[in-house]
Amino acid sequence: MKKIILNTLLLVLVANAVQAQDKFFTKTGKISFFSSTPMEDIEAHNKTTTSVIDTKSGKMEFAVLMKAFQFEKALMEEHFNENYVESAKYPKASFSGAITNLSAVDFKKDGTYKVTVKGNLTMHGVTKPVEVPGTIVVKNGAIQAASTFSVAPEDFNITIPNLVREKIAKQIKVTIDMNYEPLKS
Amino acid sequence: MKKYIVIAFIAVGLIAIVGLVLYNKPHRNTATAKSDFAVEAPALLQEFTSDEAAANQKYLDKVVAVKGKVNAIAPDEEGNINLTLDANDAMAGVICTIPKADAETAAGIKAGDEVTVKGVCTGVLMDVVLIRCVVEKGT
Repeated sequence: MKKIILNTLLLVLVANAVQAQDKFFTKTGKISFFSSTPMEDIEAHNKTTTSVIDTKSGKMEFAVLMKAFQFEKALMEEHFNENYVESAKYPKASFSGAITNLSAVDFKKDGTYKVTVKGNLTMHGVTKPVEVPGTIVVKNGAIQAASTFSVAPEDFNITIPNLVREKIAKQIKVTIDMNYEPLKS
Repeated sequence: MKKYIVIAFIAVGLIAIVGLVLYNKPHRNTATAKSDFAVEAPALLQEFTSDEAAANQKYLDKVVAVKGKVNAIAPDEEGNINLTLDANDAMAGVICTIPKADAETAAGIKAGDEVTVKGVCTGVLMDVVLIRCVVEKGT
């Protein structure tokens, strides 16, 4: 009896391992954002984004810690965390979505593919549907994904005081750069 | 009258200097900062997975010295170093990013080594994330 249970367990594990080859992940993905105004340029970088892509369904998941965004100036980082995104209250931002034109991508063949990713972006306690363009590069069994898009702080209930409103762009440019590896289990 | 103008000028100058100093306030230097907590990697992950809210309360923005076995260490294209500490979990660990400027503290370290990494805790995704890390000497 014990052996049957053990065998079933093994079978489930193996089945999972086979299935897992469709999935690619990274824990060191990069997300940066840029705000450019005549008054001041602000940029921040986050190098510890966790993301998973399922090549079978085209689903993509991203999660990022707000406090892990690093700015050039300590004061900018402080304002970002304390006044704008309130990272103590909302420590994470996440995106959950899928590639809408999955048939255009051949994950088994090296190449560069243009994709559109549609899903929900959650930040500062607000969830908004977004649709962004991106590129997927398949090379030697690894997947690289990149995207650039804009978000408006106001869409996520982030209020910026009038005094500094001119220093922060109405549309913040976000760039995403992920190097996925096959998920081994 | 002239005296007031001079005083006004000095006051404005002082405010400008204070403003500039505040604006250019440096980042906290993890290398010289005293760590608020010293923990082992598996215990840290355990605290975050069992009660994330409480762990956030305790660790966020704090300088934490984490001891553990190096799972993986790799530089990125900009010269920053990603170091992962093993936490007795197949999927999760403690991810430490070491900025380029402190990269030499990780020189010679390879997977399997026991190290203590000091950094600012930013929370947990799957792994606990520490930024602005340095590898502590003498471990």
